Amino acid sequence: MNGCFGLVSRRSLFVVPLLAVIAIARASVDDAQSFALQAAEPYVKEGFQVREDYWGGDLGAGEKKAVRQQLFKGNEYWFWLGTEVDRAKVSVHIYDSEGKLAEETDSWQKGHFAAAHIIPKSTGSYFIIVAVEDSPEERTHWALVYGFR
Amino acid sequence: MIQFCTLLRLNAAALFGLSLVAVAAPAPQHIDVQKVSTTVENVVVPRPDEVFGALNKLGGVNWKEYVRTDRNSNFTERPRIALLLGSVIADGFIAVQAEDTPAVKEIGQRVQSLAERINVKSSITQHAKAIIEGADKKKWDNVRRELDRTQNSVQEAMNELHDQKLSQLVSLGGWLRGTEILTAVVTKNYKTEGAELLHQPDLLGHFEAQLNDMPEFKTQTPLIDQIHGALTEVKPLIATPQKISPEAVRKINEITTRLDSAIVTKQ
Repeated sequence: MNGCFGLVSRRSLFVVPLLAVIAIARASVDDAQSFALQAAEPYVKEGFQVREDYWGGDLGAGEKKAVRQQLFKGNEYWFWLGTEVDRAKVSVHIYDSEGKLAEETDSWQKGHFAAAHIIPKSTGSYFIIVAVEDSPEERTHWALVYGFR
Repeated sequence: MIQFCTLLRLNAAALFGLSLVAVAAPAPQHIDVQKVSTTVENVVVPRPDEVFGALNKLGGVNWKEYVRTDRNSNFTERPRIALLLGSVIADGFIAVQAEDTPAVKEIGQRVQSLAERINVKSSITQHAKAIIEGADKKKWDNVRRELDRTQNSVQEAMNELHDQKLSQLVSLGGWLRGTEILTAVVTKNYKTEGAELLHQPDLLGHFEAQLNDMPEFKTQTPLIDQIHGALTEVKPLIATPQKISPEAVRKINEITTRLDSAIVTKQ
C-alpha cells in the first residue's frame, strides 16, 4: 500500500542525501494522509471503521493512479482522498472489475478532498481511480484511506 | 456597513464552496480495465473483520465456537513467527466478534511476546496495552482499531528493519486464519452469499506473487513452500465465474485448516 517509499529507501540505504529527500517526500504523504483522515472523521461517528493502512504517492496535474481493492458484498465502504496542497483539486471514483462506474451518487469532491462511496453488488476486486485534476504544484502528494461498516 | 461586508464575505465563501462542488467533472461511466491494470497500485489485504462483518450480516454466527488462544509454540525461525503473528492477530478479531474479554486479553499478551521474538515489540507495546484496556471496558470497536494498529505497526517496524517479506507473511498468516474461519462458518451453514465472500482471486494472486519472491524462506522454512503449493490448489476453486459450491468451500476449509495447524504446531 504505502510501500513505494519503503522500497526506495531500502535500495538507497547508504545514500544520505537521497534518504533526506525521501524523508521529506514521506512527510508530505503523511501530511496528505492526515487530510484524508480529516475527510473520514465525520463517518467514524456513523460507525465506519477506518483502516490504518493507506495508499499514497504523488501525481502531476491531470495524472491518475489506479488502486485495486478487494471488497465484500454485505459491507459498505467509503474511500477518502486528501492532499496537503490546499489549492489542488483531486477526485476519486470506484469502478467494478468490468470497468463500470460502481459508486453511489453521494460520492463527493471538494477541492483538495474527495470521497467515493460504494455498497458492492458483488464480492471481488474493484478499481479506485485517484486523480489530481488541477494543482499549482508540479507534483502533488496524495493519500487514500478507506473505511467500512 | 460592517454587517454588509460580513454578509458579502460569507456569500463569497458560500459561492466559492458551491463552485468547488459544482465544477467537479462527471466521472466517466466506463473505463478500460486492461489499460488501468498496468498502472495499478498494490492490492491491500483486507482486515479479517471485514469478512467477518459481511458474514455476520447473513445470519447469526456463534463466534465463541471459533475463539482460540492456545498457541504455545516456541519457534525460532522468523518466517514462522511472522506467519503465527498474523494468525494470532486474526484470532484477536475472532475473539472480538465473540466479545470474549479473557481471550482478547490473552491474545494481546501473546502478540507482545511474538513481537518481542522478532525485535518489534517496542512498536506495539502501547497498542497491546490499549487492546487489554479495551477488552476490559468492552469497547470492541477500540479493540478492533488497536488490533489493526498493532498489525500496521509491526509491519512498518519490519519494513524499517528491511524485513518486508516477513511483513508480507504477517498478512498471509492473518488471511489464512480468516479464510479458515470463513470456510468453517459457511461449511456449517452453506449460503451462496457466504460462499461468494471467498471470491478473492486477485488477493490470492497477490500472495502467490509474493511467495514466488521468497526462495530463501522456502529453503529455510519448508512450510512456506507448502503454503505456496496449497494456494495453487485453492485458486481454481475461488477464481470461478460460477457460484462457489459447498464442496469447494469444504475443500478450502480442509486446506486452510491444514496450513493453519502447521503454522501453530512445532514440526
